Amino acid sequence: MISVTPTSSQAEILDLENLTSEQTALEIRNLNLHYGDAQALYDISMNIPKNRVTAFIGPSGCGKSTLLRCINRMNDLVEISRTTGQIRLHDKNIYDKDVDVAALRRRIGMVFQRPNPFPKSIYENVVYGMRLQGVNDRRTLDEVVERSLKGAALWEEVKDRLNASAFGLSGGQQQRLVIARAIAIEPEVLLLDEPTSALDPISTLTIEELITELKSKYTVVIVTHNMQQAARVSDQTAFMYMGKLIEYADTNTLFTTPEKKQTEDYITGRYG
Amino acid sequence: MKHWFKSGKPWIWLTAGAVSVSLIAVLGLMAMIAWRGLSFFWPAAIHEIEVQANDGTTQTIIGEIYDSEEIPIQRLQESGVQLDNFDEPTLRRILLKVGNREYVPLDFAWVMVPQIVRDETPADLARLERSKDGNFYGYVVAVLENGEPVATGETIRDELDRRIERAVEIGEEADALQSAEIGAINYQLNQLRLERRRLELNDKLTMEAEQAIADREQALRDEYQELEQELFALREQASRDAVVMRDMRGVEVTLPMYRILDATFPNDMSLLAEIGHFFKQIGNFITEDPREANTDGGVFPAIFGTVFMVLLMSVLVTPFGVIAAIYLHEYAGRNAVTRLIRIAVINLAGVPSIVYGVFGLGFFVYMVGGSLDQIFYPEALPSPTFGTPGVMWSAITLAILTLPVVIVSTEEGLSRIPSTLREGSLALGATKAETLWRIILPMASPAIMTGLILAVARAAGEVAPLMLVGVVKSAPMLPVDGNFPYFHLDRKFMHLGFHIYDVGFQSPNVEAARPLVYATSFLLVTVIVGLNLTAIGVRNHLREKYRSLEH
Repeated sequence: MISVTPTSSQAEILDLENLTSEQTALEIRNLNLHYGDAQALYDISMNIPKNRVTAFIGPSGCGKSTLLRCINRMNDLVEISRTTGQIRLHDKNIYDKDVDVAALRRRIGMVFQRPNPFPKSIYENVVYGMRLQGVNDRRTLDEVVERSLKGAALWEEVKDRLNASAFGLSGGQQQRLVIARAIAIEPEVLLLDEPTSALDPISTLTIEELITELKSKYTVVIVTHNMQQAARVSDQTAFMYMGKLIEYADTNTLFTTPEKKQTEDYITGRYG
Repeated sequence: MKHWFKSGKPWIWLTAGAVSVSLIAVLGLMAMIAWRGLSFFWPAAIHEIEVQANDGTTQTIIGEIYDSEEIPIQRLQESGVQLDNFDEPTLRRILLKVGNREYVPLDFAWVMVPQIVRDETPADLARLERSKDGNFYGYVVAVLENGEPVATGETIRDELDRRIERAVEIGEEADALQSAEIGAINYQLNQLRLERRRLELNDKLTMEAEQAIADREQALRDEYQELEQELFALREQASRDAVVMRDMRGVEVTLPMYRILDATFPNDMSLLAEIGHFFKQIGNFITEDPREANTDGGVFPAIFGTVFMVLLMSVLVTPFGVIAAIYLHEYAGRNAVTRLIRIAVINLAGVPSIVYGVFGLGFFVYMVGGSLDQIFYPEALPSPTFGTPGVMWSAITLAILTLPVVIVSTEEGLSRIPSTLREGSLALGATKAETLWRIILPMASPAIMTGLILAVARAAGEVAPLMLVGVVKSAPMLPVDGNFPYFHLDRKFMHLGFHIYDVGFQSPNVEAARPLVYATSFLLVTVIVGLNLTAIGVRNHLREKYRSLEH
């Protein structure tokens, strides 16, 4: 049985309400989201600190993935969705009309629940984002591939078969390839949507170790249905319930001395 | 019994039975046309049959057994044939192909089996395949050079073979000269005529221009004269030899060698030789032009026309259908109008093909083609260039006919691609168009190929619309040749499907044409299967390449 006690190497505890601008990666302000007539997110406001791992936890359907998908405007793909409020990246609201969504998504990368490598070689998967930006110089691409795969702790396993199909990799390797693909274009923020839910325990462990390493270079936001995982990898945790942000605090604090009754009920396994 | 019904076994039997019936139908069809079609190429024995009529006179008939049937005597008597001394109610009669069309009134003869007094297959009986008047059956008597006999007796077969080979070679040379070089000169002369007319229409026909054209015409005519001399010389050489044959009447006739394509002694063939002859005949059928109003010779122009038209259609229909499907699936709003359009597209597939033919004739040939002629080819008017049925209009008409198939299967392919892949691409900063181009379309390519396979299968078998928009029973020139611009899409073309119809129903010589109908049908099926297998091979390759994630 894995203990629920936080074990991640905690950095100093930040005052999440009052971050300096250097400490802030994202500010979410009064965010509401409707799917048609149904409201999925209610007035969410939070600061996500830079170079840290922030976890969203909560029971299924609580809106944690929806909130994550708001951060790189993936919800735009749902035709009936409507968003109000702001998400500020470097003091610029990403929902402003003049924002180039493609450029935004290059700065805020995303990894999905299921590994989704493209039907291409490992090499081409990693350089996909670079090629989109028109980079075709072989030497640059080679460097990017090596750096990204090393960054995703996959280099040693695949360096001899970079031109093999990505489909030949195991699920865990595929997920790390997808992470490598995301960090190849050097985003500022990396969004992980339940990245280990389709993986076996050993692959999960590898990914979790990777997440802890990634935060030195990227701001990581992770959605997980697994509280132990949140406790292990994150620096601060947000608990959501029914589309509302119930509690948002430093991970240690949230898991040991939650302020709200609902949070306590959830982390002690009384519902969810 | 009740228990048996409850066990569900009858259901299995019923379903399996349905599959078996379909399978038998398909295999039976293939087997029948293959047998009837291919047996035509097998060297049949030549029989020498002596028939005794009722009045005691005898007659010798030489020929291949073509068919046989059992018929009631009563019917024969009613049709005026006098038959005595027969007790059975029916008798067997055989149909002999006697050939020698120019010497006998009919090149097929019915023989009553009971009237046969002698039936032999002498080894010396020869079948001469000729470029005109069909086959000749008889005994080789002598080979002549300039009217003098050069071989008789033992060496006659070798001598005959050698001289036929020489005649065929010269004939081929003459044909090549006529169709390639003389054809090219004719083509250029026609182009010059059109150029003069064009200048005339534009009021630019100055004296110098006129002179230049006339000079070039003169040069071409001189060249023509030379080639014509060459051609005459070849003809002269070809008519040197002849062969003397004794036919079934016992008359010796002299046949010019240049008319003879091949001589065989089928009664004197080993099995190996028969097999060799069989494949040679099939090869000839595939590679040669038709002769004798399509009742003899090969079907090469029809194969070429079919394949060329289908490929042209594929090139047209694929991009069009794929682009339309992309709009419908990716960009069009999900509303009633889109649904209506989709239903309309699907229903287009149900419109009878002849209707497309009528549309193609009215719209493409007369309207579009007529306008093209007015704008681009005024010098050729009043004779139309594109304002007349041709291979391009046929391809476009069939492209429209098969468009729904491509759209529907492409759309299906697009909707099968997991949305996680789209999202993965979008999350890396790709726009929708980039995602489509780099991820979605390659992954949908097997489905696109499926659409194309269905389109090809449908288009290759269509005949009805083509009869209105471009197919003819005999096209003097292929739509591709050595004259610039090499592809002549305005030309009419021959098509295997139409060839079957033409040979079967419009032929002046029904008996001679019948096996050709089967052979051509078999070939058409083979061509379609070949085209499909190629496409399926490509699709499987793509499918393997873009195999979706399987967890």
